Amino acid sequence: MSKKIFMLLLTLIGALAIFAACGNDQAGDQDVEITLINNKVEIDGALRDFARLYEEMFGVRVNIHSFGGETPYAPSLAALLAGGDEPEIFVFEGMTDFLAAQAGGRVLDMSDQPWVNDTSMEFRYNGRVYGFPVALEGWGLGYNTRILREAGIDPATLTNVNAIRNAFETIDAMRDELGLVSVVSMAAGPGMTWVTGLHGTNAYLSLGLAYEDTRIIDMLNNGQVDEQRLLYFAEYYNLLFQFANPSTMLVGGFDDQIGDFATERTAFIHQGNWIDPVFEEWGVNFEMGYVPHAFLPTNVNGIFVGAPSWYLVNPRSDNHEAALAFLQFMAGSPEGHRYMVVYAGAVPAFYSVPYSPAGPLSRAVTEWSARGAVYAWHQNDMPAGFGMDTLGPIYELMASGAIDAAEFARLFTNAVAALN
Amino acid sequence: MVTFFMFLLPAVLSFVIVIIVPFIFGVYYSFTDWNAMTGGADVNFVGFANYAAVFNDPRFLHSFLVTVAFAVINIIVVNVVAFSLALLVTNKLKLVGLYRAAFFMPHLIGGIILGYIWQFIFNSAITQVGSNLGIGFLATSLLGHSQWALLAIVLVVVWQNAGFFMMIYVAAIQSAPAELIEAAQIDGATYLQRVRNIIMPLVAPAFTVAMFLTLVRSFQQFDVNMALTAGGPAGMFMGQAIPTTELLALNIYNTAFTVRQLAQGQARAVVFFVTLALVALIQVYFNKRKELEM
Repeated sequence: MSKKIFMLLLTLIGALAIFAACGNDQAGDQDVEITLINNKVEIDGALRDFARLYEEMFGVRVNIHSFGGETPYAPSLAALLAGGDEPEIFVFEGMTDFLAAQAGGRVLDMSDQPWVNDTSMEFRYNGRVYGFPVALEGWGLGYNTRILREAGIDPATLTNVNAIRNAFETIDAMRDELGLVSVVSMAAGPGMTWVTGLHGTNAYLSLGLAYEDTRIIDMLNNGQVDEQRLLYFAEYYNLLFQFANPSTMLVGGFDDQIGDFATERTAFIHQGNWIDPVFEEWGVNFEMGYVPHAFLPTNVNGIFVGAPSWYLVNPRSDNHEAALAFLQFMAGSPEGHRYMVVYAGAVPAFYSVPYSPAGPLSRAVTEWSARGAVYAWHQNDMPAGFGMDTLGPIYELMASGAIDAAEFARLFTNAVAALN
Repeated sequence: MVTFFMFLLPAVLSFVIVIIVPFIFGVYYSFTDWNAMTGGADVNFVGFANYAAVFNDPRFLHSFLVTVAFAVINIIVVNVVAFSLALLVTNKLKLVGLYRAAFFMPHLIGGIILGYIWQFIFNSAITQVGSNLGIGFLATSLLGHSQWALLAIVLVVVWQNAGFFMMIYVAAIQSAPAELIEAAQIDGATYLQRVRNIIMPLVAPAFTVAMFLTLVRSFQQFDVNMALTAGGPAGMFMGQAIPTTELLALNIYNTAFTVRQLAQGQARAVVFFVTLALVALIQVYFNKRKELEM
């Protein structure tokens, strides 16, 4: 009996070995194949369709792996790389990610690629191009056009903190008349620290500065803050919190926050154009737009527009030449343009793309960026997790009323000082 | 002899590959600046720097204290509820099978799903009831207050686990010799006296097992914590803003994967392992002394 099982085991092991050997042999004989690791599950379907089209046209198979939502992108990618996989293309989200990938020898210089001349959103490091912009995203203070009109407020005048405060007070006084639960739809709870700690902090980092100006983010990464600017910023966020619906803000999630705005029960929302698919899903079609997060007493004119993520080509992978061709096709062909805007619903990062996105906030982002009224995205240049994990609880404390703007600024300053 | 080891091999091999090797690597990485993204290319030895940082982080210290508080409350409440339910369903009641199934049912639902369901109950259902009845205390979500948020996690975890531990106690109570209980009954012992002096000593091994498991599970609590409170609400501790219900496992996860300091997370995991192993051994030692030899 035992001998039989022993033989069985041996057979099994032998069989496994043969399978393993086959697997190795086959890889060499196959056609060119590239793998792209995507971090947006929302566009997974559109990306797969595009990959299939590409394979039909050029015979190069493009495998798409999407992580995101329930499987966080960064840990999944780290696990993949640690396991010895070398995908041709993967996504990175800013300087911190870039430096890690560079340290691993996984970034290819793409400065000579034709698409570089067709965008201003490529990722550069020391003057060389390493990142292909996936899309443009933007956010400001979103508003409901009808509610502002009924309250007699011209959104074009909301360019400094005093104008915004007056508008909030006016609308707040008319809350019952307008059928609102609160003026602003805000989220600051534990699962929503990306709204406050990450995107919120970007207002401090870039509002009112030239697009290339990295003064404030450089100071932050050196453990310093601009005290006066930080105080203005803290007071503005306190204002947003004071005019928000406390239960949505403190314990609500993404759907609660968007829900209040989508049902026209708030006049403003602190969210970016990535919420357009939710509006489409819910059949929301009222007019809306963006005003700046104008926390300064002086006038500013712009919303935050940038590439949230870039594709890099990994020189340690087998087929990186094929990967370069794939990216060029995406940026420079009618099929690629249609994929980016019509199917994936993105605001395109390339000048030559003839399409415009359909979502209401994406349209607003396109308008602002067409006017060149844009401020940079620096939040992904902060150390990993700093915005969400370290600053997030400070925002939440101010939202709950436990601390005031001055105390917020002090805790913020201490947290930044600890970075050095 | 060869056959003996060949039989042993699959089990030993999988144990070594899945448990021992990762454990050794984990301990090794906790002394380095490894971060997974650089692919092991340049891992530098940093001595005890990660461990020093662990004990200087107010957030970790708070997380540690909250986990201990959570574990103490949770072990007591889960076992009291489970044992009470077990006594209930070992009586001669009608529909006793239905009760057992019903109490066990929550254990079959995953922690993440439970967390989201209860988050809805705490945030929307209870607040609605509270504001309709004019009870100010219930009108705002309990998850917004740090003490209540911790108790909310306890409530959900008890609801999830009491049925499971009830089954352990039921099995133990049913295997207790009926003649002892009958003899006590004939001698005039009341129900409480029988529970206290006959049943409890007889099921002491079940207490050892159940308390060991609840202890380990309390320390390892992650899924309900993540889905229900995600560590919130925020509070102040040692002059820093921190999430007040971030239990150890979630703290380690956030350190490793949100802040992406994998080596630092590894050091925390080692501290976590040593603490849990010590506490569990002490607990089993004391519980064992209470067990009877039949």
